[in-house]
Amino acid sequence: MRNEQLAHQSATELTHNDCVVEARDLGVRYGDHRVLDCINVRIRRGEVLAIVGGSGSGKSTLMRQLALLATPTEGSVRHFGDDVAALNEKQLNLLRQRMGVMFQHGALFGDQTVLENVSLPLQEHTRLSQTLIEQIAMLKIAMAGLKPDAAALFPNQLSGGMRKRAAVARSIALDPEILFLDEPSSGLDPISADAIDELVLELRAALGLTVILVTHDMSSLWRVADRILFIANARIAAEGTIAELVGSDNELARDFFHSRRARSAGAADD
Amino acid sequence: MDGNAELTMSNSTVCCSGDWTAPHIHAIEQRLPGLDWPRTDIAFDLSGVVRMDTPGAWLLCRTFAELRGAGKTVRVQGASEQATQLLEIVQARIGDIPEPPKPYVPGFLENIGIHATSQLRQYRDLLNFIGNLAVVVGQAALRPWRIRGALVVRELELAGLNALPIVGLLSFLVGVVIAYQGGVVLRDYGATLYIADIVGLATIRELGPLITAIIVAGRTGSAYTAQIGTMVVTEEVDALRSIGIPPLEMLVLPKLIALVIALPLLTVFADFMGLLGGMVMANTMLGLNPATYIGRLAEALTISSYLSGVGKAPVFAAIIATVGCFRGFQVFGSAESVGRQTTISVVESIFLVLIVDAAFSVAFSHFGI
Repeated sequence: MRNEQLAHQSATELTHNDCVVEARDLGVRYGDHRVLDCINVRIRRGEVLAIVGGSGSGKSTLMRQLALLATPTEGSVRHFGDDVAALNEKQLNLLRQRMGVMFQHGALFGDQTVLENVSLPLQEHTRLSQTLIEQIAMLKIAMAGLKPDAAALFPNQLSGGMRKRAAVARSIALDPEILFLDEPSSGLDPISADAIDELVLELRAALGLTVILVTHDMSSLWRVADRILFIANARIAAEGTIAELVGSDNELARDFFHSRRARSAGAADD
Repeated sequence: MDGNAELTMSNSTVCCSGDWTAPHIHAIEQRLPGLDWPRTDIAFDLSGVVRMDTPGAWLLCRTFAELRGAGKTVRVQGASEQATQLLEIVQARIGDIPEPPKPYVPGFLENIGIHATSQLRQYRDLLNFIGNLAVVVGQAALRPWRIRGALVVRELELAGLNALPIVGLLSFLVGVVIAYQGGVVLRDYGATLYIADIVGLATIRELGPLITAIIVAGRTGSAYTAQIGTMVVTEEVDALRSIGIPPLEMLVLPKLIALVIALPLLTVFADFMGLLGGMVMANTMLGLNPATYIGRLAEALTISSYLSGVGKAPVFAAIIATVGCFRGFQVFGSAESVGRQTTISVVESIFLVLIVDAAFSVAFSHFGI
């Protein structure tokens, strides 16, 4: 049952049963190189969790693990309480229908228009009429902040910002319960980046969406993140709200959140 | 947990229940247009709705809009907080969302026109490319120390050395096939000795150069297109330009030089393997002694027929390298375009090689070579 889906309830009030995604002792290594080590995290329903860290700290790898795009070398990933390593491909695909992934560079299909890109998940997983599918796709395109004319364009005719929005539209096509966003605001102008932040909050409120985002954007962290995982040296170096991390005594986190950019973003939001 | 969306009517109240989510509303969607709606006031009772998502909310809002358009009043009652929020979100946008734009489909005549102009443009681009390439080749001839030797050697290895096994095997097999086909006829006339003439002339004048060119077009020309095309997509070609290195000089010239050297050498090898294949077949099928075969070859083959075969190879090489690289630069936008241009590159270079080969034949017969 999902009608107790408690968008309005603050994330911290939720119980253990509402843990949608969990990593237990998760580790990833390529040969001798450790990318992730002993990651433990529980992500609650309705939460906006941000994964941050320096370039190459393993944050995108962590997102790929949680989004079922790669298998861990150690430990496990659990979705809705099930260890995904124990599931077969069919069960995994059912899980995948409950989540949407927005890739960093959009990953839109180049031979399809934006409308076709957004319609594809609906065509694949529902039995609705083409008219209704296209109307819903147009709604998602509008929700992602794109103008209707953009629907007929091909990805290579879009600007970087429009491509991100189209990618968001495709990732929310099936009203996912979990939305993964890989650097949603990188390469966007401040207005578009703000619009993406507002979109995330609006979707969370309307659909009870759980959002896991990888980002560098300090103003996004202040605006949307309920909780932040700070990854450094392949481990979770610090965890908490943005205010807690800014006040953290962890040296790495302090350097990161007290960088000049981080401070100015915080100041703007205060 | 999963139940299809349901809709029941009593008097002026419409009760919705079940899952109003994308996987569960297709049945309702089909029923909706045929429904006999109450006269004026309609109350939608959503208290039975277990779950709702945006497609469900859209379907409801679209129905509300249609009913309101028909002059009825619509009220919603019993909606959960989440459903209310969803309906509000959809309702706020439903007016602004136009019909999906239909892609423009050109008519028959217009299609011909579009096609013709695009072909014309491509020929113009090709001529342009050949002209630019000629300038680069001219500059390199004047200042040969500027040719990137290491790149030429690398391309020689990729296009020449690495192609030896496949070119050798296929030429050998073609030699076997010709010897077999010719041998069947010659045996009836008791003229088996002349198998050497047939295999020798066919291989050296035509099949050796042609088979090699076709294999190289498929193997190397396609690789040139894919490599340059990918570099266009990832802006590497622009990066070269911005560093001040002419892309043609860095990407095309080494390939052109390497292929013009490699293809004649490969052709010599293909000739040898073809003759060898013919010899093996002549020996096993016709019982022709290898020494006799080779002796006859020496009489049948003249230096002019040998050169007329190998001499075509550099021309074929220039065609393959030019078309392969040109198609790479024609890539626009996406990975899909790389695939399309690669296909065109192979088809076009083989097509041009065959046309030029036919032109050579006409010219040779005219001059009696």
